Amino acid sequence: MTGVWILAENLETGRELITIGRTLADNIKSDLTVITWQSELSQEYIAYGADKVLLLPALPQDQPLQSYIPVIAEQARQDMPEIFLLTSSLLGKEMAARIAGQLNAGLGSECTALRWIESEAALEMDRLFYGGAAVQSIRCSHAPRMATVAPRSYSPASRQEDKRGTIDELPAPQPSPVKLLERNARSQAAGDISEAKVVVCIGRGFMKQDDLDLARQLAEALGGEIACTRPISQDMGWLPEDLCIGLSAKKVKPDLYIGLGVSGQIQHLTGIRDARIIVAVNQDASAPIFAAADYGIVGDLYEVVPRLMQALSK
Amino acid sequence: MPDILCCYKWVADEAYIRSGSGGDLDLSMADYKISDYDKNAIEEAVLLAEQHGGTAAVITVGLPDDTKGIKDALSRGPEKAYFINDPAFVDLEPAQTASLLAAAIASPIPYDIIICGEGSSDLYAQQVGPRLAEKLGIPCLCYVQKVELNGSELIAHRKSDEGLEVVKVSLPVLLTVVPDINNPRLPGLRDTLAAGKKPVVEFTAEDLPSIDTAALATTATKAATIKRNSRLFDADAAGIEELVQELKNSGAIA
Ligand SMILES: Cc1cc2nc3c(=O)[nH]c(=O)nc-3n(C[C@H](O)[C@H](O)[C@H](O)COP(=O)(O)OP(=O)(O)OC[C@H]3O[C@@H](n4cnc5c(N)ncnc54)[C@H](O)[C@@H]3O)c2cc1C
Repeated sequence: MTGVWILAENLETGRELITIGRTLADNIKSDLTVITWQSELSQEYIAYGADKVLLLPALPQDQPLQSYIPVIAEQARQDMPEIFLLTSSLLGKEMAARIAGQLNAGLGSECTALRWIESEAALEMDRLFYGGAAVQSIRCSHAPRMATVAPRSYSPASRQEDKRGTIDELPAPQPSPVKLLERNARSQAAGDISEAKVVVCIGRGFMKQDDLDLARQLAEALGGEIACTRPISQDMGWLPEDLCIGLSAKKVKPDLYIGLGVSGQIQHLTGIRDARIIVAVNQDASAPIFAAADYGIVGDLYEVVPRLMQALSK
Repeated sequence: MPDILCCYKWVADEAYIRSGSGGDLDLSMADYKISDYDKNAIEEAVLLAEQHGGTAAVITVGLPDDTKGIKDALSRGPEKAYFINDPAFVDLEPAQTASLLAAAIASPIPYDIIICGEGSSDLYAQQVGPRLAEKLGIPCLCYVQKVELNGSELIAHRKSDEGLEVVKVSLPVLLTVVPDINNPRLPGLRDTLAAGKKPVVEFTAEDLPSIDTAALATTATKAATIKRNSRLFDADAAGIEELVQELKNSGAIA
């Protein structure tokens, strides 16, 4: 048996996984292995705390990253790590589920906290379910105990100057039946909503894309960022996805969140749970966002926002 | 002409979740529904069958009482349902559901394409689809938002962490789909009546190999509904000025 494995997709989430991976490796008195396909980061992962790096060879142009799955699963079958952690990115969630499927392993999805339960030799994982309306703790006591960890659940590991470790290469994967034809990067939003102090959130109460300027002006007046609900980014495509808040998107923790025409379904509210003050503007007094808000205005956002701007300018 | 099989889950509607005494999860008020994104999966299966002249069927794992879900699913267009049910199928974990689906499908049920939602609206573990693909040993494409089918070749546009990937694969394949792929139709009265006459093939625990023991044990569940003070202000100029003053007092704005 080998200790704790993590699959690092990039340095940012990789360092977060190292933080919890290192803790768990110390708990079970074993070592920490990082799997990566970025050879230039191998030494970095050691500096941040890995004892060992398993390096996946570069893929041909037409092969998607998922092509690595059989190689990783095979190595895990041989080495049988006690614990295997991935990030709950889209890629991480897919890889984890497919590797767990091949190994018949227990997998906790999108966990926000992990603990080692010594008495049961179990990994305990906390996660949200029912769209965030409930939390559960689950335990897995058979290797490989697998989990995907929600980004930003742990702070990134810091660099240790004298840390040493080994680097081994994994075999190249067989050609995948899935061929990559095209890869398009999505347009990135300018600001980062997860760090913003003020967030003005756009919901389906907005009638057309041009009207979003109303929210932009309010955000500007408050020195904040705009954000949106899932239908605005995904169904309407009015804003980039990294501005979307919620269960399947970003979590925010501003001092002030203002929801404009947002109904407040639990999957969205999950993303604003840690906001200090929540203000809701919605014309429907029975919208669930009011129960979750500190302050509310029942009214038409097209009338309320201009008045709000005026009151702020005084 | 492709045979398309679509997996769906019959789930408690999260909108009815209450926080019981001591923060317990109270589901006693809950109504049940087809998991939100599985409606997109059913719609895509039906659309593909309509466009390419194949068949669309649904398959689900549940309790013997979950027949309302079968009727709901069939009213959305599929021509047949496979219903894997047993009183013991309570709170199955994703690995168990995937194994049951795989065993029934291997029995065999014909398929060229299997479609699942990207995740269920209750657990949202996003595991059953990918695990099922591995059990069946077929390619898996997740987070698909557009599908083009040319004979036995499928081109999918799928979401990635960086943006979008266009990929090509030969059938058979399993897809998990995101809600932006289509707008599920609303079944009418005629569809509901027709659904009652469509064939339902049942599998019970005896028809299938015994399920794997659970790998996960749930040690705690708690309601986490969000409740705050909800102080309301008038929508007129005076009310809004009052709100702004309140926000200033609380230090939320300068
Ligand atoms: C598994 C799963 C994951 C999900 N993840 C997310 C997620 O991460 N993020 C997310 O946001 N959603 C998510 N959702 C979707 C979520 O359930 C809701 O559908 C979504 O948040 C609703 O967005 P909305 O409030 O903008 O739209 P709606 O629910 O349509 O609400 C629009 C609101 O605007 C109000 N309104 C209309 N006109 C006006 C006006 N002129 N002035 C004022 N108010 C007006 C209406 O009264 C209504 O309340 C998820 C769903 C599922 C099933």
